[in-house]
Amino acid sequence: MERVLADFVKTLRNANVQVSPAETLDAMEVIQNIGYEDRELLKNTLSLTLPKTPEEKEKFESCFEDFFQEKVSSQIDTYEEKEKQEQIDTNFDKNELISNFLEGSSNDLDLQISKAGEEVEIREIKYFTQRSVFSRKILEAMGVSEIEEYLSRLNLDKTEEPSEEEKMLRSQLANLREKVSNYVQQQFLLHGDVSGEQLREQVFKSMNMGQIDRSYLNEVHSLVRKMAKKLANMHSRRKKNFRRGKLDIRKTIQDNWVNQGVLFNLRWSYKKIDKPKIIVVCDVSGSVGAYARFMLMFLFSLTEVVSKIRAFVFSSNLGEITEDFKTNTLENAIEGALSKYGGGSTDYSSALSDLVSICIDEIDKKTTVVILGDARNNFGPDKAELLKLVKDRAKQVYWLNPEGTYRWNTGDSVMNTYSAYCTKVFECGTLTQLERVIGTLLKTAI
Amino acid sequence: MPKGPQDSIKAISKGFAKHNYVCSNQIATAVYLANELDKPILIEGPPGVGKTELANTAALHYKKELLRLQCYEGLDETKALYEWRYGKQLLYTQILKEQMQEVLDGAKGLKESLSRLMSFEDIFFSEDFLESRPLLQALTSDKGNVLLIDEVDKSDEEFEALLLEILSEFQVSIPELGIRKAQVKPLVILTSNNSREIGDALKRRCLHLYIPFPDASLEREIIQARVPEINENLKIQLVSFVQGLRDLDLKKLPAISETIDWARTLILLNAKELNEDLAKETLNVLLKHQQDVEVVQKEIPSLIKTSIH
Repeated sequence: MERVLADFVKTLRNANVQVSPAETLDAMEVIQNIGYEDRELLKNTLSLTLPKTPEEKEKFESCFEDFFQEKVSSQIDTYEEKEKQEQIDTNFDKNELISNFLEGSSNDLDLQISKAGEEVEIREIKYFTQRSVFSRKILEAMGVSEIEEYLSRLNLDKTEEPSEEEKMLRSQLANLREKVSNYVQQQFLLHGDVSGEQLREQVFKSMNMGQIDRSYLNEVHSLVRKMAKKLANMHSRRKKNFRRGKLDIRKTIQDNWVNQGVLFNLRWSYKKIDKPKIIVVCDVSGSVGAYARFMLMFLFSLTEVVSKIRAFVFSSNLGEITEDFKTNTLENAIEGALSKYGGGSTDYSSALSDLVSICIDEIDKKTTVVILGDARNNFGPDKAELLKLVKDRAKQVYWLNPEGTYRWNTGDSVMNTYSAYCTKVFECGTLTQLERVIGTLLKTAI
Repeated sequence: MPKGPQDSIKAISKGFAKHNYVCSNQIATAVYLANELDKPILIEGPPGVGKTELANTAALHYKKELLRLQCYEGLDETKALYEWRYGKQLLYTQILKEQMQEVLDGAKGLKESLSRLMSFEDIFFSEDFLESRPLLQALTSDKGNVLLIDEVDKSDEEFEALLLEILSEFQVSIPELGIRKAQVKPLVILTSNNSREIGDALKRRCLHLYIPFPDASLEREIIQARVPEINENLKIQLVSFVQGLRDLDLKKLPAISETIDWARTLILLNAKELNEDLAKETLNVLLKHQQDVEVVQKEIPSLIKTSIH
C-alpha cells in the first residue's frame, strides 16, 4: 500500500514539488484514516498534506490526475499483485543459491548490497550518468571481481560445454548485477537530481555571464530571482535599535529587575528596519552589456530589501533608467536600456561628470555607489578626481569588474587609477561571484 | 458513534452551513483532518475569502471558545505567550519586606539566612504572578478551544520559531515553571496573506489549505446563506457581475466579503435588478482603489450586459 504513495511522492518531486519525508509520513497517516476508496476525498486530503504553496497545488493537481488515472482501488490491486510476484521471485532465488559467495539468502544479498552502497556513499549520487559508475563500485565493494577472475580462469581451462557450476555461477552473477543496478536506480531516484534542474543551475552559476546564451535567459532569470530572494531573506530582518522615541516601560522594568528596580538600562520601543540606498552605474558598451543585464536583474529583484535604488547606464553619456524599471517588466526594461544606451564606445570621463552633475546632491552617508564596468577607457582622460568626489560623499563605492583580475590594467584598462578611489573592487564574472558581491554589499551598506 | 470519514466530513459541511458558512469539500476535509490528526491548518488565499471566518465558524460549530491572536511586526512572546507581572512582583516585595525580617529573625550569619530563605518555595515566580497570553491560554484550558493565529505572515521570523514547539508538541517550556502541556489539544488555525513567505519548518507542521475565489455557483450559495433576503434574479446577476470583475486587471480584486457587502447595499437601496446606474453608484463598495474604479467604469456596460443574460 505504501508503495503507491511513495511512487506518487516521487512523481511529485520530479514535478518540482518539494515533499519532505515527514510530509510523506503525514500523508501516510492520513490515508490510513481515510483509505483509498474515495478518489475525490483522497485528492482533497493529499492536497492538504503534500503541496504547500498555490503553485505547488497546481502541479499537484495535474500530477494526481496523471498518476491515479483509473479507479484508485484497482491500481492498488495491481501493486499488491506485483509485490506478491516479487516475493515468489525471491523464493525461487533462494533455492538456486549454491556458490560460495552467493550462499546467503536473498535477504542477506539485499542487505549486502545496501551495506556496500553505504560504503561507496551512494547518497552522493546526483546525475543519471553516474549510475553505472556507482553500480560498478558497489559490485567491487562486494568482491565481485574475485568471482569474475575465477570465472575467467574456468573459461581458459575448458573449451567444451561449460559445467553446471559455471552456468549457475554466471546466472547468479547476472542476477546480482541486475539487483545492484536496480538498487542504484532506486537510490538515484531518491537522492539524485532527477529532472536535471540542479545541474543546470550549477552550470549557470559558475559560467561566465557574458557567455550564457540568450535562449536561456528565462531560466537564468528565475535562477537570479531565487538567489535574490535568498539574499533578501537574509538581510531583510536587520534591525536597528533606536536610541530615542518611546520608552518601552515594560521592557525597561523587566531588564532592570536585576538592579533592584533601579532603571539603569533604558529600552526603547522602536525598532527600525534599515534599508540601504543604492546608486548603480552600469557600463553597457558592447563588451560589458551582458553583465549589466544580470546585475540589473539581480538588483531589481532585491527591491524588498533596498528602499531606494537609482540605476544609470552609459556608453558615453549617462542615462537614468530607474523609471523604466518601475513601469515596465524587467525583461523589457533591460532590453530597452541596452538598445537605447548600449553598444557605443566607452567614455568614463563623461559618464562620471554626468553622474556628478545629476545626483551628487543625493549621495550621502547612507548611499552605496556601485559601478559596473571594465574600466577600459579607449585611452581617454580618466577624470578620477570626480570619482574621488563621489567617494568622499558616499558611504562606500564598489567597483565590479567582469574581467578576470589578470586582465586588469592591460591595454586601455585604467583599473588601478580608479580602484584608488573605491572602497572595494571585485572581480565579478559569474553569477556566484555576483551573488557574493551583492551579499557583501547588503551587509555593509547599512 | 462510529462513522466513516465521508460522513463526518458531510456532517462538518452541514454544521458549518447552519452557521451560515458555506464551505467547499476541501475546507470541510481540512477541518476533519485537523481534528483527527491534531494538526494545525495553515490557510492561505486572497484577502476576504473567509479565512478568519472559518475559525469563527469552527468555534461556533464545536461550541468551543475562540482565542484570537492577531500577529503584527514586533509581536513577541511577552504578548503572545506569557509574561511575568513585574509591577505586582515589585509591589509584593515591598509589602513583604517586613515578613522577610521575621523569617530571618535570629538567623546567624549569611549562610543560615540564605538556607532559611531557600527553604521557602519560589513564590514570586509562580502561577500567581504569571500573566498568560492567548497561546498559553489555549494550552492550559481544560475544555479545549479554537486558537486563531491571524495573519501569521505579518509577524517576525523569531515568532514563527516560537510557534514550532507549540504547534507540533502542543507544549511550551517556561524556564521558571517547567513544561506546560495541553490537556485537551486546541484546534489551531493560522491564516496568512502571503506578504512574506512562511518558513518551511512551519509549513511542514501544518495542513495547508488554499482558499481561492469561489466559482459562481459556490458564490451564489454563499450569498444565499449570508444575505437570505436577496431575490433570486438579483443574486444571479450580482454574482456574475463580480465574477466578471475578477477577470479584469485590477489592483485589488473584489472578494466574497465585498460581494456580500454589495448585496446588502443593493437590498438597502431596494434594488430588484442590476442596471448600469446602480452599478456605477455603488461601485465603491466593491472596489477599494480609485484606479480600479476608473478602469471598471468603462467596462460597466459590457459587464452588465453579460450578467443580465
